[in-house]
Amino acid sequence: MTEPLSPGDGTHAPDAAALAAELQSVIEAVAGVTAVYPARPLWQTIAGAARSAVTGEARSRVDVASSDTGRPVTAVKVRIGVSGAHPAPHVARAVAAAVRQHLSPHPVTVQVGIVQIGSEEAADASGAQEM
Amino acid sequence: MSTPSDALSCGHSLADLSEYLDTGQIGDPGHLAECPECQSGLASLRRLAALGNELLDADTAAAGSGSDDWMKTILGNLRLELRPGRSIPLRADTPGDVLTETEGSVSALIRSVADSLPGAAAGKCRLYGDLTEPGAPITVGVELAVVYGHPLEQRAATLRQELATVLSRQTELNITAIDVTITDVLEPRNPGPGAPAAGAPVAGAPAPTVGPGGPPTPQEKP
Amino acid sequence: MTDSPSAPHQLDLVPDALLAGRAADGDTAAFEALARRHGPVMRASARRLTGSLADADDVVQESLMQAWKQLHTLRDGDAVKGWLLRITGSRSIDHLRRRKTHADLGDLDHRLEAGARTAEKEHPEHAALSGSRMDALKAALAALPEEQRRCWVLRAFNDQSYEEIAQTLNISTASVRGRLARARISLAREMEDWR
Repeated sequence: MTEPLSPGDGTHAPDAAALAAELQSVIEAVAGVTAVYPARPLWQTIAGAARSAVTGEARSRVDVASSDTGRPVTAVKVRIGVSGAHPAPHVARAVAAAVRQHLSPHPVTVQVGIVQIGSEEAADASGAQEM
Repeated sequence: MSTPSDALSCGHSLADLSEYLDTGQIGDPGHLAECPECQSGLASLRRLAALGNELLDADTAAAGSGSDDWMKTILGNLRLELRPGRSIPLRADTPGDVLTETEGSVSALIRSVADSLPGAAAGKCRLYGDLTEPGAPITVGVELAVVYGHPLEQRAATLRQELATVLSRQTELNITAIDVTITDVLEPRNPGPGAPAAGAPVAGAPAPTVGPGGPPTPQEKP
Repeated sequence: MTDSPSAPHQLDLVPDALLAGRAADGDTAAFEALARRHGPVMRASARRLTGSLADADDVVQESLMQAWKQLHTLRDGDAVKGWLLRITGSRSIDHLRRRKTHADLGDLDHRLEAGARTAEKEHPEHAALSGSRMDALKAALAALPEEQRRCWVLRAFNDQSYEEIAQTLNISTASVRGRLARARISLAREMEDWR
């Protein structure tokens, strides 16, 4: 859907962006997670959607807050969809544990919001945002 | 407002005719019927309008069906935001972590369980009680439309059972009651060309009373 | 709707007014049924207005979001299609304004025609019937000054009144009347050969 135009210049906080992408992979690998959604609600990011589609600039879905530039990370925020195959509360705790382990030994607080439970369309919804 | 080339020798302009097509208003309607120039101009604009409709139809067909992936993607995105509702806390292993599930995700789950019941379609699915307080008593309310001919009481009992199982697994809510209300009786659709196999209902008349002995005969909406 | 490969949703058979009422009452399934039903024409309109399929999908999503939030303002549920198209028109124009304030991305409208031809290849039976005539109209439309094209699309695709178009484009109704007339005159002239 997106034309391969020039990529964004990606000037701000490359470390945080790289870490967010890293954490997204970690979270996606947790059993029962079907999708990782942008941490901020759609209506807050919608104005950037067009530019993002045109420039191919990726928006990171995992919100990473740091005490200073780069690591250590103090807070991670993520919204996920989960499959009906696993108990949703267990999956939320497993995601928090996986994030904490990935950033260990740095202390971190994790916010996990489950926004979708057991829908077969979850994979479509998250995958398509990357097209 | 006229361009030099759109003036007709009868004194009208194509801009006048263009507006007449949309509004039906023109200074001297009697003139139109008699003026060959105006008639020819109108015919040309009407042909264009027909072509415009043809283009709209072609573009709409080319846009694809509402069941295609592009709409699934859009609906998937919207589903998160349309009705997130309250945040339901989940127990965290580590102090300071905030784990939640949205009320919207739970009511969507309830709806999908109700919809998966053969011969039934969910209406409103609501959670009553203080969802944000762990352990607070919560009541589930589900409105259900049932296809005519299916045993209503049995449907409701099955649904209550299934919901209790699913909710105890997917939430940490203290569910104290699950109320299922049959709000509609759906008329089974007549199978026809292109129609799916039996079972897909159409909306019928609301069922004011439901008894195990004899559900009311569905009636056409006025 | 009849030859859709996937299983039809139950609500797809319920009339607009009933769905709009349920959706206004918070029923997301009813709202999704409305979105599936009217999404294609919204997408078609947004695509002609913005000139790109990717932008059109952003516009449709944004329009549906706005529609959901404002459903309680819709008095006549039977008018939901026109209402959705008015929102689509406004959001498309907003989208274009936003895009203009970003980098100079070149004239994206020209991508429209490439996209349209691709779509026609996917619908060869339609193209065979009227493809060349439709191609001529698309080309004539693409050649119009942008302000004229917007007026024409909002009138022909979105079925908006002069007042509504004026509001959407933030111009006077007299300007709408003039631009629409000029657009039609140019298009009609171009299409004379295709009678």
